[in-house]
Amino acid sequence: MTTATNSVSLTGTDLHLSFGTNKVLRGVDIHVDAGKTTSVIGPSGSGKSTLLRVLNRLHEPEQGDILLDGRSVLGDNPDTLRQRIGMVFQHFNLFPHRTVLDNIALGPRKLRGLSKEQARAVALEQLELVGLAEKAQSRPGNLSGGQQQRVAIARALAMKPEIMFFDEATSALDPELVKGVLALMTDLAAGGMSMVVVTHEMGFARSVSDTVLFMDRGVVVETGKPEALFDDPQTERLQAFLSQVL
Amino acid sequence: MVRPHVVKSRVLIALLALLALTLTGCGGGDDSATSATDLCAPPGVGSASAAPTNLDAAAATSTEDRYTTPTTKPLDQIDTGALGLATPGKLSVGTLSDAPPSICVDSSGSFTGYDNELLKAVAAKLGLQIEFSGTEFAGLLSQVATNRFDVGSSSITTTDERRKTVGFTNGYDFGYFSLVVPNGSAIHGFSDLNAGTRIGVVQGTVQDDYVVNTLGLDPVKFPDYNTAYANLKTGQIDAWVAPSQQAEGAIKPGDPTSIVQNTFSLNNFVGWAVNKDNQPLIDALNSGLDAVIADGTWASLYSDWVPRELPEGWKPGSKAAPEPELPDFAALAKPETPGSEQSQTAQQSTLAQLGATFFDWDLYRQAIPDLLKTGLPNTVILAVTSGVIGTVAGMLLAVAGISRTRWLRWPARVYTDVFRGLPAVVIILIIGLGVGPVVKGLTGNNPYWLGAAALALLAAAYIGEIFRSGIQSVEPGQLEAARAIGFSYRRAMTLVVIPQGVRRVLPALMNQFISLIKDSSLIYFLGLLATQRELFAVGRDLNAQTGNLSPLVAAGLFYLALTIPLTHLVNYIDRRLRTGRADTSGTLDPLEQAIVVERG
Repeated sequence: MTTATNSVSLTGTDLHLSFGTNKVLRGVDIHVDAGKTTSVIGPSGSGKSTLLRVLNRLHEPEQGDILLDGRSVLGDNPDTLRQRIGMVFQHFNLFPHRTVLDNIALGPRKLRGLSKEQARAVALEQLELVGLAEKAQSRPGNLSGGQQQRVAIARALAMKPEIMFFDEATSALDPELVKGVLALMTDLAAGGMSMVVVTHEMGFARSVSDTVLFMDRGVVVETGKPEALFDDPQTERLQAFLSQVL
Repeated sequence: MVRPHVVKSRVLIALLALLALTLTGCGGGDDSATSATDLCAPPGVGSASAAPTNLDAAAATSTEDRYTTPTTKPLDQIDTGALGLATPGKLSVGTLSDAPPSICVDSSGSFTGYDNELLKAVAAKLGLQIEFSGTEFAGLLSQVATNRFDVGSSSITTTDERRKTVGFTNGYDFGYFSLVVPNGSAIHGFSDLNAGTRIGVVQGTVQDDYVVNTLGLDPVKFPDYNTAYANLKTGQIDAWVAPSQQAEGAIKPGDPTSIVQNTFSLNNFVGWAVNKDNQPLIDALNSGLDAVIADGTWASLYSDWVPRELPEGWKPGSKAAPEPELPDFAALAKPETPGSEQSQTAQQSTLAQLGATFFDWDLYRQAIPDLLKTGLPNTVILAVTSGVIGTVAGMLLAVAGISRTRWLRWPARVYTDVFRGLPAVVIILIIGLGVGPVVKGLTGNNPYWLGAAALALLAAAYIGEIFRSGIQSVEPGQLEAARAIGFSYRRAMTLVVIPQGVRRVLPALMNQFISLIKDSSLIYFLGLLATQRELFAVGRDLNAQTGNLSPLVAAGLFYLALTIPLTHLVNYIDRRLRTGRADTSGTLDPLEQAIVVERG
């Protein structure tokens, strides 16, 4: 796997966001060191996915600050900010009207100013890294879920991101396909990529993360080293959650 | 998917068979079929008729003629440079094609008829060129009032109501109203009409006005004389109040109908309509009219086209114009044969009558070259032009309609609501007559492209909604993913969301294009030159000229020849888009595919 040389640290402080009267985030703090992995766990509706979208400003936070490498990015152009942050979705969200190769090449070509040939070369390189070079000319609809998610990861990596977000990247996959995607994520983490991983895969959270963060109802209830959280939960809410998922 | 395809194929085969039948019918028709009477040719003095004997007694009490001028200016005092013409030296005339022999299009595609031939003679006296455009009566007077045309020539009976909109020349013709009923009807005169009678009139004509305001009854309104008469023949209406010329022209030997009474009013002579502020042009036409009366042209055209005994107390032109010398029409008129006897000899079976009305092969042969040379290119040009502009404008509307900026969103919504909520005819008339005069310099008073623009604006509203629904049906995750890569909203939409949305609505778009092909017939309301007529107008003019529906059926076949292949193209694209996406490349087993679909 590639070694991410440009990984940055990420800090979110006191982040708030409401949808109408529904307060989805109520003062969330999160920190990821450069090259490290933080997993975010918690029940459905706890605000985990929204947290990711606030951190890359798909939703603008109503309050709080976001820092990359110690510098606030709230004043930056959000489009430029998102070019630095790769994101992988639960439902892949590949572009069905383009080939696999074009899905990956689109960003580098249009945003990184590469020529068509250069962008395709970059895309093919990423596709080889996820083991799907032979699918370059296929349409995403003809790939399995696991293959599609690996293409989605390649698409994010092709932008040379400084940090990667994973939003329940394996939740939509059937069990035998989960392993390949998790292996890829593990490789990325080992290669020094900064990552925020929202996940229901407790095994992954425990074995790969440097930090685990447990969210419930829009707040961070507990945070710490994975062993501490999983072996010695301090709060009732985390205890109840773990007893349900483990 | 398969079943409708098969059905459509059968329809197609049936149509091809019909077309083949048409063509073979044409080939074999020349010796056997009786050639259709050309209603748009001068019938000659032999067709003369005496003044109707069954005049309504009430109408005979004539009122004072208030409008005919006592004298006219001598021709040499007319300054043809000061007539306020749209194009100096050229008289632009709006006319209709549905009332032969007064106004019609002849077999060579030129506007003619008694009114127009006489106007040509008047224009020649004045040293003016003349250009005819066909239009709808509904729009004619306002087109004269707004200077779209210099003159309206359409057997227009001059009523007080119409004098509020336009000015009129002196009379060059007169009109009885005829009451036409099926043979054996209990109705023998206007006094027999009552609230229970279904009385047919052509909308907006003097007969319409007469039935509503003088008789105080509620008539059934039709768009043209042919339709009204066809409805009388098939028993859809009980009586038809028509200009006597149209009534006499429409009733053919063997028809199960007859004229039972006529009526006349001295004040309501027939004149040409002119902008009422343009007194110089009215004066000039009056002078020209008196001149053609004086030199005998009037008498010769009148005798040739509409030979009838003049009603007592009326003569054409100003009061100073000489009395025209006419043959003794009453003596020339054939001795009146009782209608019943005549109809008995030639009475056709209903089926034969229907066959002759819809499948007159001679008329198909006559219609097809015109439809091919004039109608088809114009229909295609109008549909393609408005389709392309409408698609571009529709895309802009769709993007504005889903914009996050209300200053884009609201105007787009208002536009869509207004243009989708109005009947197409209203939009075309508003743009043609309302915008037309404003952009006169740009269009040269030629409404052809204005009509295409009106169609495009109309189509844009519908196409905009089609695009919007397509774009909004794209999963929100697509926009989110594109934005997460770092694309701006605009680039995410153009690169990712809109292309997917457009693919989904291609079939609906094609349907919209098919309706554009059909809607293109509506621009005839704006007034077109004979060479600018599209399929429907060509068919309808020939229909008016012959009184037979076959040319319209022929035009219909041309529409089908355009729309059916498009319908099949839509189905093909639709099928390909659907199955194309699910087309497995072999590496994926069905089970895994099912999971992807279900979960994804």
